[in-house]
Amino acid sequence: MEGTGLAFELQQVSFAYGPEQPVLGDVTLDILQGSWVSLVGPNGCGKSTLAKLLGGLLAVNSGSIIVEGTPLLRETVQQIRPRIGMVFQNPDNQFIGATVEEDIAFGLEGRCLPRAEMVERVKRYADKLEIGHLLAKHPAELSGGQKQRVAVAAILAMEPGIVIFDEASSMLDEKARGELLNILREMKHSGKYTMISITHDAEEIMASDRAIVLRDGRIAADLKPRDLFGDEELLDSCRLIAPYEVRLVRELCRQGIRLPAGYCGEEVAEALWQLYSNK
Amino acid sequence: MRNKLLFGRSIDTGSWVHGVDPRAKLTGMILYLAAIVIVGSWPALGIAAAFSLAYMISTRIPLKYYAKAAKPLWVLMVFIFAVQCLTVKQGDELFRLGSWALYTGGLSSGLIAASRMALLVSFTAILTFTTTPGLLNQGLAGVLTPLRVIGISAQRLTLMMSIALRFIPTILDETHKILKAQAARGADLKEMPWKEKGKMLVSLLVPVTVSAFRRAEELVLSMESRGYVIGAPRSEYHLLSWRLRDTLFVVSYVALVAAVLSIRWI
Repeated sequence: MEGTGLAFELQQVSFAYGPEQPVLGDVTLDILQGSWVSLVGPNGCGKSTLAKLLGGLLAVNSGSIIVEGTPLLRETVQQIRPRIGMVFQNPDNQFIGATVEEDIAFGLEGRCLPRAEMVERVKRYADKLEIGHLLAKHPAELSGGQKQRVAVAAILAMEPGIVIFDEASSMLDEKARGELLNILREMKHSGKYTMISITHDAEEIMASDRAIVLRDGRIAADLKPRDLFGDEELLDSCRLIAPYEVRLVRELCRQGIRLPAGYCGEEVAEALWQLYSNK
Repeated sequence: MRNKLLFGRSIDTGSWVHGVDPRAKLTGMILYLAAIVIVGSWPALGIAAAFSLAYMISTRIPLKYYAKAAKPLWVLMVFIFAVQCLTVKQGDELFRLGSWALYTGGLSSGLIAASRMALLVSFTAILTFTTTPGLLNQGLAGVLTPLRVIGISAQRLTLMMSIALRFIPTILDETHKILKAQAARGADLKEMPWKEKGKMLVSLLVPVTVSAFRRAEELVLSMESRGYVIGAPRSEYHLLSWRLRDTLFVVSYVALVAAVLSIRWI
């Protein structure tokens, strides 16, 4: 699906909560359909605001946003919203139903789907996210990771083409974070979704196709995740820490052991094995 | 803490009572409430108790759960009992303490009043034990539909209620967290005199309220992004269908009211 069209076209988008509080200024960017984009930057740089603008939850002050060819305006927002799903940070505050089943069904009811289709979708997406056994549970009986899975299932059940993750993993423990990352990877692999994730998690950024760095409401850089992690100064200005393997390669380099640049994950391990056996 | 919150938790045993239409259950509960209000003598209480017990057993939920549901209100029951004992001066005098005397009439009506209360609370638990919150909401929306005449949307009302119920445990949890945080900073509620406790509770109210508003804001965003529009048409996930069983269920309650009434009048 990648390359078939543009999911988002932003032209000189600006936004402010008040005259003294400019949040975003002059943001221009395109996002390809089927791509996975990470939005990164220090706290307060306008990432979440940008996500809300993209999702049609806030309206731009100036500039324009075009979603899959349709301009995002007050008149079209209800028509565009079904194409965009959003997963937020706090798993508790996006759990609307009194049980998992009802929470997944909430968005479907709003679509006026017939009951048979709702039941089928609830089951299909619950199974997909491995929460099928939790359908009758109350949110107070679930862990943070489970609740976040429910949130993802509820969004995917509405079958949007675009999914925005607004720091969806930041309140989860390491294990749940890893599981969520796997879900994102699977979504990318399925080719059905354009994904935008706001995150501070190095692994998550590394897994995406493209990183857009925001600073003080402007785009500071737009590059491949590998290049982002190669640029120490940029990383520092975003208050990010590179993934372990990147730091390892860098430290080895300092110690005089040179590995070809731009390696990640398994490749680093392979290169290390080779170094060891060449000794 | 969470486990103590029996209110609003359904317990699925798959009994026939679970399958009764929630609208029938709600109607039944209202009739039961009427019957309990009318009960004024031992025979009537006996009928109501037998009726309640029969229903409780047929839900196949252990009776101890019903007892648990009534437990938090024991202070109120003792109070009602005491008031009756202190004020009713009918029947024979049992014993005297200074200027006050306990009469058989007082004792008997005190016991009846307290049992009525216990029956009411434990029995209405049937409603929440056997109905999932979603179904209960839909039932409530059904029962409240006539309110449309005066311009109130039953769907909006029930959505509001279900969200409020859904957030009770979350906000309680948060309150406990704040209490602990305050205790960690040396303000331990348990060790304070009553007056200080009162002040402390005010300082607890502020953060809890602020956070509830923040939660509400985020919830609105989440609802909006899932396509919720106030007043827009929605389809219903739970389908309700009224069957003969539901009619019979309501009829049994009408019969209870009639039985209790006839005892009162005869």
